[in-house]
Amino acid sequence: MAVDSMPPIVFTQLNYLLTHSPHSIKVEQMWSGSKNPALLDRFTLLIPFCLDYIKWDVIYNAQFPLLAPDIVFGPEDENFRPYHAGGEGDLKPKNSLSDWNCKDPTRLLSLILELRSLYMAYQKKRVGEVDDERLKFEINTIYSREGIEMYMSSGVDKPEEVKLAVPLLEMDLNKMVAGATWRHQQKIYLQVIYPVSRKYLAMASAPRLKLVSSPELKAFFSIDEFRLPSWLDGMCMAEYLPTLEEMLESQIRDAISSIEVRRRFITALAIPFGRPVESDPIFCRKATFLACSGVFTFLVHITLPLQFPRQQPAVMLQSSQHFHSHPGNAPIKSAMLQDYPWSPRWDVAEMAERIFDFLVEECLNFKKYCNEVLVQQR
Amino acid sequence: MDAIISLNKIQISGPTLASLIQRVSSAAGDVDGLLFGRVSHIAPVTLSDDSSSSAAAATTSDQPNLIATVTSFFSSTSTSTFYSASGQIDTSTLNNLLSTSDDRLIGWFSGRRKTQLRPSMRESSVTSALASSIQFSSQVQNSTETLTFPPCVFLLLTTPFQDQLIHTHEYKAFQFRSSTDSFDPKTLDVVNLGPAFRGHYGNFITPNSPFPDLSFRVKGLNCESMVEDEGEKEKEKFGTFCDEGFKIGRLKNLMGSDAANYTAELEELYNSMIKKLNGLAKMVEQSSAKVLEQENHNMKLRYKVAGFE
Repeated sequence: MAVDSMPPIVFTQLNYLLTHSPHSIKVEQMWSGSKNPALLDRFTLLIPFCLDYIKWDVIYNAQFPLLAPDIVFGPEDENFRPYHAGGEGDLKPKNSLSDWNCKDPTRLLSLILELRSLYMAYQKKRVGEVDDERLKFEINTIYSREGIEMYMSSGVDKPEEVKLAVPLLEMDLNKMVAGATWRHQQKIYLQVIYPVSRKYLAMASAPRLKLVSSPELKAFFSIDEFRLPSWLDGMCMAEYLPTLEEMLESQIRDAISSIEVRRRFITALAIPFGRPVESDPIFCRKATFLACSGVFTFLVHITLPLQFPRQQPAVMLQSSQHFHSHPGNAPIKSAMLQDYPWSPRWDVAEMAERIFDFLVEECLNFKKYCNEVLVQQR
Repeated sequence: MDAIISLNKIQISGPTLASLIQRVSSAAGDVDGLLFGRVSHIAPVTLSDDSSSSAAAATTSDQPNLIATVTSFFSSTSTSTFYSASGQIDTSTLNNLLSTSDDRLIGWFSGRRKTQLRPSMRESSVTSALASSIQFSSQVQNSTETLTFPPCVFLLLTTPFQDQLIHTHEYKAFQFRSSTDSFDPKTLDVVNLGPAFRGHYGNFITPNSPFPDLSFRVKGLNCESMVEDEGEKEKEKFGTFCDEGFKIGRLKNLMGSDAANYTAELEELYNSMIKKLNGLAKMVEQSSAKVLEQENHNMKLRYKVAGFE
């Protein structure tokens, strides 16, 4: 990020926004609007909304960095008027811009958050205006759930549809995984997309459903593995969601208990291999050990899949003595080894022992391979 | 009701548009300002060879055929001069700005480099507030009924995101409709010199843009020192020439026996005109240098406040 060329007053506001936002807002690009193009005073923010991003251009004036910024919304949101002044003499409600203080670094963030919540209300209103019986019914029946985001997608060459992002499970995932250091709240959402049909259909087709999770969650729970319960004819969201949540909750509990299984396995590996050089203490997905065979010293990287112990860990060897001449003198590594004797029914001590036995043989092959590579490089 | 009146198109003269673009592209940062002009009613032309099109014209002629004409503009050196950060109109400042001009307010413009060619959040609020203000409305000219027209014209000027050699600027004109709370894009008709426009062009008031609003008196602007290096006599003589004008009848004297005297007289006139022009040019040069110096100084102060250095 070109820090030097942004007016410091603006930079502190942007920096505060990026580090303190409850949503993970990103800056897509920054550029200059002044005659002297070295001064960056405008940038595009990618703001997560309804499992997608909305792009807003924030426009400062580098010549007058003390002035409040202006915002250009996306091309589909031309009718979004967050601070509509109304007629003369109306009561002017206070908003984040009305008493702008450029010295306060929190202002940009509070402006964006205020606009985002107004945008949420705006989209909700648009969805509410859609003349579709089934949609009206669905929205009314799940209205009591908190935090639902809606988005009405319409455009010249796009089909009219309503997107819902329904947050699932009331439990706080951040607190369930011991020691997790996620900065943002982890959540699983059900994305529901209803095509808008103007006429009443007795047998409406199933909406398009997709489970989406915050990206960091993948470290211990894979939503791709989760099979959505089937949508029966004539079903509605209010019926569907409880079943889904029940299934999801039990699988998440399994995922959390499987962290413990992986931890016990890594502890067991320490008996034949010695203390790990490095290991993932939170999700227990990775461990690295230092091993030697005679004078040949190498690292053993062990990666544990989420389906452990059903699926065996992947092992990779990395020499501490053999290096590629180029590029960059990288150490020579073996291929992923995933085909060695394995049974999920063994206890963890036996699993560790079997891997060790396998590597006693395999490391000789790896040593031979390393020497061959060195010969070729000469 | 102002809400129902839809403009047919928005006109602007070539020089006004050119000086507007020049203003925006020469500014250090973003600028905005007011657009002046008038809104007039044009009698619908229903005469046509084609009967079907005349029928169509007859149905649309219920709507008054209005054309907004931008004749001049006022711009300051920054944005947010007559409105607040959240887009509310500062009525007293706007009245103050308008009091210096005889022209009628029909809208405003915003110039911002390298941005999307659509109204921003604040621009929408400002335009909407202007369009709903009865106070700043003007009368429609040539209209049979009394129609008032609020300042609802908005002209957006920007430059492309990538620097280009040929395509250096973009603009779009809108009319804000209070009834639907939306911007209607309108064609901006550039009235230029040329055979097709000759009659039309005469209708324009001489394109001008007022001197920027300065709250203090500029020293030396009104002083009579332009030809001070010349003698009083010269000045007087020049004065008389100017007062009398050089009548066409006297030009006849250039022919015939007395021609020599008159040629000298004419040359003298030209000489003093050139001297006066030179003096003016010198003054303009000096004052421009002072303005530049002051602007640089102001910019430094602003950077200091913004935390640079």
